[in-house]
Amino acid sequence: MAEPLLRVENLKTQFFTDAGTVRAVDGISFEVHEGEIVGLVGESGAGKSVASMSLLRLVESPGEIVGGEITYKGETIFGLEEGPDGDLREREDMLSNVEMRDRIRGNEIAVIFQDPMESLNPVFTVGGQLREFIELNRGLGKDEARQEAIQMLREVGIPDPAERYHEYPHQFSGGMRQRVLIAMALACEPNLIIADEPTTALDVTVEGQILELVDDLQEKYDTSFIWVTHDMGVVAEICDRVNVMYLGEIIEQAPVDELFHATKHPYTTALLNSMPRPDRTVEELEPIEGVMPEAITPPSGCRFHPRCPDAREVCKRVHPDNEVIEHAAGYPHRAACVKHDVFDVGYDESVPLEKEPQVTAGTPGGGEEQ
Amino acid sequence: MGLLRYTIGRLIQAIPVLIGITVITFILANLAPGDPVRLMLQGQEVDQELIERVEQQYGLDRPIHERYATYMINLLQGDLGYSIHRDRPVTDLVIQRSGPTLMLVLSAYAFALATAIPLGILAATRRNEPTDHISRIVALIGVSTPSFWIGIMLILVFAIQLGVLPSSGLVYPWWGPDHYGYSGYPELIYQTIRHLLLPMIALGTLQMATLMRVERTQMIESLQGEYVKLARAYGVPERTILRKHAFQVAQLPIITIVGLNLSTALGGAVLIEYVFNINGLGRLLLEAIIGLDYQLIMGITVVIGTMFVVGVIITDISYAYVDPRVTYGDRD
Repeated sequence: MAEPLLRVENLKTQFFTDAGTVRAVDGISFEVHEGEIVGLVGESGAGKSVASMSLLRLVESPGEIVGGEITYKGETIFGLEEGPDGDLREREDMLSNVEMRDRIRGNEIAVIFQDPMESLNPVFTVGGQLREFIELNRGLGKDEARQEAIQMLREVGIPDPAERYHEYPHQFSGGMRQRVLIAMALACEPNLIIADEPTTALDVTVEGQILELVDDLQEKYDTSFIWVTHDMGVVAEICDRVNVMYLGEIIEQAPVDELFHATKHPYTTALLNSMPRPDRTVEELEPIEGVMPEAITPPSGCRFHPRCPDAREVCKRVHPDNEVIEHAAGYPHRAACVKHDVFDVGYDESVPLEKEPQVTAGTPGGGEEQ
Repeated sequence: MGLLRYTIGRLIQAIPVLIGITVITFILANLAPGDPVRLMLQGQEVDQELIERVEQQYGLDRPIHERYATYMINLLQGDLGYSIHRDRPVTDLVIQRSGPTLMLVLSAYAFALATAIPLGILAATRRNEPTDHISRIVALIGVSTPSFWIGIMLILVFAIQLGVLPSSGLVYPWWGPDHYGYSGYPELIYQTIRHLLLPMIALGTLQMATLMRVERTQMIESLQGEYVKLARAYGVPERTILRKHAFQVAQLPIITIVGLNLSTALGGAVLIEYVFNINGLGRLLLEAIIGLDYQLIMGITVVIGTMFVVGVIITDISYAYVDPRVTYGDRD
C-alpha cells in the first residue's frame, strides 16, 4: 500500500485545567490515504474536535499536544524525541510555527467548521473573506483571486456568484454559508480537508444537499477528507473508512461496510442501535445507557465498561488496545474489546458485571441483541 | 443608497426627540421659582401697574401653551430668545460659546480613543499578565476620579509646579494668528495644542478609562470568535487577525458607547470649562443658572440637547456603516 497522506500515531492531547488534566485525546492512531473520506465518529466530548485541531497544531490553551507523532506527506507536523537530559523535546524535523502557518494551514490542510453562522466574519463581505484566503494560500493577485473566488462560489452552487460575492454573511442562509465554507476549503486547493461536523447545524434537507455536493466535489478534485461527526447516517453516506472514538480513544476502526455489517465493538453496536436505519426495522430505538464519563477521570480498564451491555469482570481490569481483529477490503478491522479472541485475557470465563445503578440518559428499550 | 435612506430616516426620527427637549425645557423653566420681572428689577420697589405692563410686553401674561407656540416659532427662525441680564440675543451668545465647547469635547474624545484602543488591545492580548492588571488599575482610577479634580491636579503639577503648560483659557485657531499677536500659523497651532492639552486630558480621562475596558472585553471576545479560529486555520498571520479580523468586529460597541457617553462628556465640559476658565457653553450655562437667566438657560439646554441628538445620530450612522448587519430598512 502506498504511503498514507496523513499518519497519526499514538496522538495525545491534554488540557491542563484547575480541576485536573483532561485527557481529551489519549493515544489515537489512524491514517488517511489519498482520495479517501475517513470518518471520526463519537458522542459529544469524545475528543473528535480536539483530535482534528491537533492535526493543524491549533489546540487552544490550556490544551497541548503531549505525545505521539503526526506525519503529513513525509513531513513531521508533530513529533517528540528524548533529549540528552532524558526529557522529551520537540524533534528537529518538526515543522516550525511559521511553516505550519505558511505552508500547511489552508494550502495543504484546510478545515470546514461546524457552525456556519459563526465561522464567517460578520463585518466583511463573503467574497472578500474567500479572496483573502485564496490570495494567502495560493499566492494569487487580487484580481485573479477574485475571479477564482467567484468561480468557487459557482462551483458550490451559489446562484449569481458575482453578485453575492459582495454580500455579507448575514445575507446568506445557513446552508449557503456552509457552501461558502466548503468553497473556502476547496479554493485553497488543499490535499486534505478536515470537516468538523459541517452539517450538524443544518436541517436535514440542506444536510443532504451538502453531502451530495461534497461527494461530487471530492470526486472532481480528489481531495481527502477527515469527516468528524456524531451521526452514523452521515458516516454511512459518505465515508470510506471509519474511526469510532470513545473518551479520547479510537475503539474501532474499519472500512465503512465492515463497521456497519460486521461490528466488532459493543459501543459501535450501541451507536448503531440508537439510530434509525433504512435497512432494519425495529420497534424502538435503543439509546446508549448513561452518559459518557469525564475525560478527567476515565473509568479503569475498558473505558466503556460502565455502560457496556457485554461488560464482564475482566473489562474493569484490562485496558484493551485497538487490535486488528480481521482484514477486510485490504484494510485491517481493529477493535478495542477484550471479548475478541486476540486479546486472550479470559473474557469467556469472566463473570458478567452486575449493572450498577447510574444516571441514565434513557431506559433500555426492547429490540434484540445483535 | 441604503445608507442615505437610513440617514434620512434617523433624521426624521430625531424630530420628535428635539420637540420633546424643547417641551421639557420650557416646562421646567416655567416651573422654576422666581418671577422674571421681579428678577429684572433686582429688588427695586415699583407699582403693580408697571409690572403688569412689562409682563404684557414680554407676553408673560398669556397661557403657557401660547407662550410655547411663540417660543417654537421663534426657535424655528433661529431665535433662542433674549438674555435680559446680558442684554444680547441668546442665539449670538450660544454661537459664540459653542466653538470652545465643541473643540474641548471633540479633542477629549480624540485623546480618549487614541489612547483607549491601543491600550485596550494590549490588555486583551496580554490577558491576566502584569500589563493587563496595570491597565485595570489605571481604568479604575480613571473611572472613579472626578474630572474637575483631575483638572485641578493637572493645573497644580503642569502649570504651577512645573510651569510648562498654561492653566487657563484656550486659543481658538479660527481667530487667526494676528488676533493673538503670534508670528504665524505654526505658532498658532502650537499654542492651540498647548492650551488644549490639560483640559483635554482632564475631560478625556473618564472616557478613556471606560473605552479601554470595553475595548479589552470586546477584543477578548472577538479573539475567541469562530471566525478567528477559521482565519488561523487558513494560515492568516496573527498580526493580521488582530488588526483586521478581530479588531473590526470589536469596534462596534465602542461606537455605541462613544455616542452614549456624549452626554457625560458634555456635562463634564461644564466643570472643566469652569476649572480652566474657558469661555464655552458650559460656563455660560453655569453663569446663567446662578443668575437665573431663564431664556439663556433654555437656549443652552436646547442647544446642548441638540448636540447630543446629533451626536447619537452620527454614531448610529457610523455603526450602520461599519456593521453590515444593521439593515438600512431595505436589503438591496
